[in-house]
Amino acid sequence: MSETVVVAGAFVISYGLIVTYAVYLDIRRRKTT
Amino acid sequence: MSRIRVLFGLAALLMAVGLWLALNAPPDALQGEYSRLINIHVPSLWLAFLAFGVTALGSMMWLIRKRPRWDRLAAASVEVGVLFTGIGLVTGMIWGHAVWGIAWDWGDPRLASTAVMFFVYLGYMALRGAIDDPVTRARRSAILGVVAFVQVPLVYFSVNLFRTLHPTQSVRPDGSTMPDEMLIAMLVNVVAFTVLYIALMAARIDVAIAEEGADSEQALAGDAVKPPKISEVEDV
Repeated sequence: MSETVVVAGAFVISYGLIVTYAVYLDIRRRKTT
Repeated sequence: MSRIRVLFGLAALLMAVGLWLALNAPPDALQGEYSRLINIHVPSLWLAFLAFGVTALGSMMWLIRKRPRWDRLAAASVEVGVLFTGIGLVTGMIWGHAVWGIAWDWGDPRLASTAVMFFVYLGYMALRGAIDDPVTRARRSAILGVVAFVQVPLVYFSVNLFRTLHPTQSVRPDGSTMPDEMLIAMLVNVVAFTVLYIALMAARIDVAIAEEGADSEQALAGDAVKPPKISEVEDV
């Protein structure tokens, strides 16, 4: 696998986890209001 | 626009700038493109240390003042800290596999101590989930929040104290071992991730307050909202 693909994958995984957590918090907040 | 949306907007803007700088900084002569991973790996673990420090502070303040807001702060910070420790571990493994030829080595003090830190704070979250009474939950988790912080400086200084695969700090009080463009990109990402931490904390504390409000409303409603027991339901 090329270096660029591995690095891009790591960035996508990291940002993906952050966005997923932010969306999870938003869903939890909406459930209580 | 709410305060949380503004914080998330600012964090997204700074992260976009950080990403642009990370992708445009010159690659390392030895590591090539893999060196760009420093722009996520270091900010993530910096945030983890910050988050667990805030947890220790919140825990200590709860033990002194017994105010719910300190418990909320500690609990929120652990959740965010665990997320960023996870990201730091994943990016570290990808980087290690590419550069060292091995993704994980339990014999390496930095790697092993970071994994232990990750699992200890996962345990903190499990402890909170296992206790229903809010005061008991706050007291027990505050004690763990203070005690668990002992390992954080150990994780940070493990690269200086032991011989490890992991390199020592690139930025030290006496200067940096990195070229200016790489250093600026990394520092912008550290600032962007710190703003993101503040945004996530604000959102997480907001959720905690909303959930506490919903719980107390349910408690006030008492038996009226409880479903009837099977034995109490008459046959039709």
